[in-house]
Amino acid sequence: MQAKIGDRIVVRGHRIGEPDRDCEVLEVHGADGGPPYVVRWEDDGHETLFFPGCDAAVAPYESSRG
Amino acid sequence: MEFVHRSGIGVRPERSITDVAQIMEQSGIGSVAVVDGDVLVGIVTDRDLVRRGLAYELSPDARVDGVMSSPVVTIGVDADVHDALGLVRSHGVRRLAVVDGGRFVGMLTVDDLLVELARDLADLTRPIQDELGHPHRDAKVPAEMHS
Repeated sequence: MQAKIGDRIVVRGHRIGEPDRDCEVLEVHGADGGPPYVVRWEDDGHETLFFPGCDAAVAPYESSRG
Repeated sequence: MEFVHRSGIGVRPERSITDVAQIMEQSGIGSVAVVDGDVLVGIVTDRDLVRRGLAYELSPDARVDGVMSSPVVTIGVDADVHDALGLVRSHGVRRLAVVDGGRFVGMLTVDDLLVELARDLADLTRPIQDELGHPHRDAKVPAEMHS
């Protein structure tokens, strides 16, 4: 994954009924936009380090602000 | 290590145990990596929070590195499911930290391994299921071949 500051990352829910979560990239710690990222989670405002797996994707800018 | 399905979450060592519990609750995960700079220094599980935090009536503001498990059992990103099973068995742990060149990249749980093994088993049994559902009939040997 490659991301830049301000990008929004969506993490898919893992169980039926579990909503997707999204977060905003605050810092990029990897080379060339790679992980890990410092992110702020949209639902609770917590800031964490984030190591994306195959359940995560950078959301297109338009849909992430919709 | 394509069977690591979930993204990993990490926190700094000075983060409070209350914050970490809330992060686990919101994320639906049972373990969080504790990372100092780029170095993985431990992992904290929901069990750690109970047994080393709640059980000793630690302050809700206590640092998470006071209850984390360390050192962490790690596995390289190029390892396969059998390597992972061997580590789980030999160390008696339920989680392995996946590292790439020494840097933490994600968490591998026993649940991930079970899903992967179940998938392998399904692949193995598919030909048997096909045979049971649609029995294969060999062509009869022509009569002139019988002596």
